[in-house]
Amino acid sequence: MSLLQLMGVTKRFGGLVAVNDVSLEIASGQLVGIVGPNGSGKTTLFNVISGVFFPEEGRVFFDGQDITRLPSYKRAPMGIGRTFQIPRPFGSATVRENVAVGAMFGTLGHQLNVNKSLKIADDIIEKVGLADHRNKLAGMLTPVEKKLMEIARALAMKPKLLMMDEAMAGMHPNDIDQMVNFIKKITQEESLAVVAMVEHIMRAVTGMAEKVIVLHQGSKLVDAPTKEALQDERVMEVYFGKSVEAL
Amino acid sequence: MRKKYLPIIPVIIAYLVLFLVGKNVSGTWQLVATLLFYCALGQAFNIFMGMTGYVDFGYVAFMGMGTYGMALGITRFVFLQEYGAVIIVIGFLLALLMSTLLSIAVGAVALRLRGAYFAIATIGVNEGFRFLIEGARIWNGSEGIIFMSQLNDILGRDAASALSTFWADVMVLVIAFLAALTTLLFMRSKIGYALTALREDEDAAKVMGINVTKYKIIAFITSACFAGSLGAASWALKTPYVFPPEVFEIHYTIEAIIIVLLGGAGTLLGPVAGGLIYGISKYYLSIFIPGFQLLIFAPIIIVIIVLFPQGVVGMLRDYTKNTVVGRFIV
Repeated sequence: MSLLQLMGVTKRFGGLVAVNDVSLEIASGQLVGIVGPNGSGKTTLFNVISGVFFPEEGRVFFDGQDITRLPSYKRAPMGIGRTFQIPRPFGSATVRENVAVGAMFGTLGHQLNVNKSLKIADDIIEKVGLADHRNKLAGMLTPVEKKLMEIARALAMKPKLLMMDEAMAGMHPNDIDQMVNFIKKITQEESLAVVAMVEHIMRAVTGMAEKVIVLHQGSKLVDAPTKEALQDERVMEVYFGKSVEAL
Repeated sequence: MRKKYLPIIPVIIAYLVLFLVGKNVSGTWQLVATLLFYCALGQAFNIFMGMTGYVDFGYVAFMGMGTYGMALGITRFVFLQEYGAVIIVIGFLLALLMSTLLSIAVGAVALRLRGAYFAIATIGVNEGFRFLIEGARIWNGSEGIIFMSQLNDILGRDAASALSTFWADVMVLVIAFLAALTTLLFMRSKIGYALTALREDEDAAKVMGINVTKYKIIAFITSACFAGSLGAASWALKTPYVFPPEVFEIHYTIEAIIIVLLGGAGTLLGPVAGGLIYGISKYYLSIFIPGFQLLIFAPIIIVIIVLFPQGVVGMLRDYTKNTVVGRFIV
């Protein structure tokens, strides 16, 4: 059974159709890349899945439950975690406290007290390589560190579905490779099911995604295994324009 | 006591020193009582404004409700006078009940709004309530309630006078301390983490699984309860009468905001520092240049808030970080 299923989801902002009749399925443990040019509706799709917006049409199922109209704070304990395109740290709290908040209100939240959550936070901070910044205020981190912290915060929630919104934009290529390896590793270790991600950076997509979903102007263009998808003519056209031979 | 509750020690020391000075240095009790009132006001207001980042301009209405609660407790239950102080307890219970009810009513509507919209929506609460009481002639309307004689009947003349000149202020001290303790307990529990998260970024907090409305309401009601008991102790018991224009005066909300910002919003020690600085400077300014104190005070506050946006305690906390002293300052 698929972990996440979208059926004919449409989200409009006034006259603008940001996500147009998108259906997709993501299985447990699958690494999925969601790509598309700017304005193709990737972030809106994330917002619909995490409950920031409700869709006008269509349904969203998670873990067998219809969550189309479920408020976002109820989705996190079910196992939906995410990061933001522009990091949104809780600036006046330390990195450690930020990550602990993830543990406290995530899937295991009801059985974790503050001390246990802080312990989990320490563990994960170590893993993402922020140990030196543990007691810094999150607002004082560099942009890349903020992104790492957001990933740590989302991981602390022990999500079944982790959505990363351009988490690697702006990172050094070496760091991207490192991050890709880390995420691959953690998906297996934590049996953290799915990492869906929105990414411009093809290096990251090809490095880890098993399947790629390409969005274009709000609609789903291609949904196929990574290699296949990236060689698809329509995808090439969206990214690079028509090939010379075709003209 | 566990390590994480250490920061309560400076609070205890501050209040203890205040109390001892007022008790032993003759002629200072009135000043100390005023300072205690400001500290308690800041401490109570801080639980909501400091921890959630929302500004409630109608805050004084909760104090007004508390004052009325005590007044009604004393006037309506005067037939129980052989039980004496029990009536005061009933008064406090009524004060708590009434401020809680009002905070639920206000919170249910206004807490759906964010930031400045919340602030604007709450401005009307105290004035609206005042006009409701006066216009609909609830609880004697604009004539208010004077319950000096009932208080004398209940406690006897001497005890009643001791209550209004000394014990009411001690109650304020207790309220200030309890509010500080609650603040620390909140800070060290999930509630505090949730409030910090929602203060910093409400949308991100929601996506992290935090039911922001629930935690805002918890902070709001808790804060309102302390305001209610503060009204009951400091206004009703100290001066045994209640008039609508006095207990719904927006002036006190402004003072609460100043104290919290001055001391450091969301900090434990902030309201103590803010209350003392504000109370002492207001007292001396009104002695040396009566009538001009606000003119002097306004720019001082502007300067402090521009230079130390984190407040006095926020600044101290940053300086003492990673030191032994720092462990006591939150």
